[in-house]
Amino acid sequence: MSGDAVVTEIDHDEFNPRGTLALILVYFAILVVMWVFMYFVEFLGNDLTVIG
Amino acid sequence: MSSAIESGEPTFLDRFPQEAKVVRSALWSSFIALTLGALFGIIQTLHRTDVLRVFSSGNYYTILTAHGVLMVVSFTIFFLVGIYTWAVVRSLDRPVEDIRYTWTWYGLMVLGTLMALVAILGGFIDSIDISADVLFTFYAPLQAHPLFYGGLAIFLIGTWLAGADWFRSWYAWKQENPGERIPLQTFMVLITMLMWYIASIGITIAVVIFLLPWSLGIIDQVNPLLTRTLFWFWGHPVVYFWLMPAYLLWYTVLPKVSGGRLFSDPLARVVFVLFLLLSTPVGIHHQYLDPGIADGFKFIALTNTMFLLLPSLLTAFTVVASMEHGARQRGGTGLLGWLRALPWANPAFTGMALAGLMFAAGGFSGMINAGLNINYLVHNTLWVPGHFHLTVGTAVALTFMAATYWLWPQLTNKPIFSRPIALAQVILWFVGMALMSNAMHVAGLIGIPRRTAEPQYDGFDFIPTFGSIAELDLQLVVGGTLLTLSAILFVSNLVLSISLPKVSGLGQPLPPALSGPDDAPKVLDNLKLWTAIALVLVILAYTLPLASIVDRGGLFGPGGTPYPTMIEFGSTLLEIYTPLTTDWISGWLQ
Ligand code: HEM
Ligand SMILES: [Cu+2]
Repeated sequence: MSGDAVVTEIDHDEFNPRGTLALILVYFAILVVMWVFMYFVEFLGNDLTVIG
Repeated sequence: MSSAIESGEPTFLDRFPQEAKVVRSALWSSFIALTLGALFGIIQTLHRTDVLRVFSSGNYYTILTAHGVLMVVSFTIFFLVGIYTWAVVRSLDRPVEDIRYTWTWYGLMVLGTLMALVAILGGFIDSIDISADVLFTFYAPLQAHPLFYGGLAIFLIGTWLAGADWFRSWYAWKQENPGERIPLQTFMVLITMLMWYIASIGITIAVVIFLLPWSLGIIDQVNPLLTRTLFWFWGHPVVYFWLMPAYLLWYTVLPKVSGGRLFSDPLARVVFVLFLLLSTPVGIHHQYLDPGIADGFKFIALTNTMFLLLPSLLTAFTVVASMEHGARQRGGTGLLGWLRALPWANPAFTGMALAGLMFAAGGFSGMINAGLNINYLVHNTLWVPGHFHLTVGTAVALTFMAATYWLWPQLTNKPIFSRPIALAQVILWFVGMALMSNAMHVAGLIGIPRRTAEPQYDGFDFIPTFGSIAELDLQLVVGGTLLTLSAILFVSNLVLSISLPKVSGLGQPLPPALSGPDDAPKVLDNLKLWTAIALVLVILAYTLPLASIVDRGGLFGPGGTPYPTMIEFGSTLLEIYTPLTTDWISGWLQ
């Protein structure tokens, strides 16, 4: 299986998941942008949908 | 065994031939359900969009019930019991205690499924009086034939017995290995089942005390808000019942397939414990729009739901970090350049990675659904199926299919018939779902309803902000067609594998985590403690809402006329039974 093509063994202390952090931050940024976008589209752009 | 010794790495089939057979049977049951479910899926897609209407619109609910039940009950749960049996036997490294018992619960699940399916498919035949056009949520006053509720009950009993089987294995293992940490996969299985037992309280009461007697004609009405609330008491944890086997695969198999090791065993345990604690006291978030439940209770459900995001985010971190570990071990470098070093040609990897990506997108639409006020915008529109085709329909379903490509050879000692087809299949699912789900989300935003055979009305048009309804319909149809094709490719690939000769050397050991169980606080393995806390949270979240629902509407009222009325017999019993029970219960309440 192609999953076994290990070139270097990396143990716990040597491994620093920087890339993962970067990806998660990107995901957060997308979420925030979409939330803000939603606020403009759905609340400022329309009349109230539900009253009371 | 001899072939295994030659290659040095015995497969699951070599080590546990009897268990491998049970696992294969459970997976086959799951895949048959997937195939039938896909068939109904494409029929309703073509029907809704008015491209092709093979059945009359009067049969739409029969088709939709079949699709929903086959997909989210049969496909997912049969897969779960298969993969969990594998996981427990593998991680404890011991056969099940009694294989006849194992076959018994599997048999009960099959029996229950067949009973429910007969009731559902009966809806196509007008001349017989059997139907269950109640959708997978079976809200009263929609009424199904008793076979449907009975089948559901027997199926559930099968799953409970399956859980007992795994607890029994663990107990026996513990006697022989005192003081050792529960192996991670077994830990995940046991936590899932504890959640399942708690969740089942809701559905059991709904079916056994109310819906089944009602469809038998023993009681003549139920309190629809009560049975609905009991349904969602179970219905939200079910979501985690689909997801937790996928998580098990992401935590324990995906790192291996990526060429690395799980980042953290303790974190994985924490995530599962959080699911046990939080997945039940949130069910009311499916009922934000139900009149009769006070806003305060809905707000509590909302808060718990937002907490529930935590384990999912922890999972995103741990799983991606494990993939990054694999990529770096394979020589990947750079802040994001390692992504290229991942084994994208391996269908098991690519399928699971794409499933995870879709889950991230589903996370966003899920946060919209979870908001008390924004939910009003999307409730009961096509947005909602758009959301859960990303979560259960892709994160879970695609992970199951991808993991099968990895596991199946170890259950059969035969390779997968075609790896290129497998790779095409997982990509096709991803593309098809991107189209279909996107179309559903957009359609939902402009108010197009779900669960509707003919969402076109006289004298009224939906007005999209951009594009047109025809474009959305086209996207839905193309997406649905690609998905159906993908499902067919998946199942045919497995069927064709049957004819291949057996080979040796297909065993795939799972490496230990980078940070192992010894780094995890002992208290994480204290199952009794977590169960007790989970029960307390459930009591806190549900006692007052349920009491107020019963107080206002009565245990069996205000009812509404059942549709369609199933069976008349027993109505004499009814005259004795109902006043007795209501008197007894109201006396007991005072
Ligand atoms: C072949 C691929 C699939 C197609 C073409 C498809 C299509 C659809 C469509 C168009 C609907 C909306 C119908 C309506 O509300 O009127 C729907 C509903 C649904 N689908 Fe799928 N789907 C597919 C796969 C799946 C999978 C894999 C799952 C879950 C594992 C799933 C679970 C559901 C559920 C639970 C509903 C809601 C049923 C209800 O409203 O009662 N589907 N599907
Ligand atoms: Cu939910």
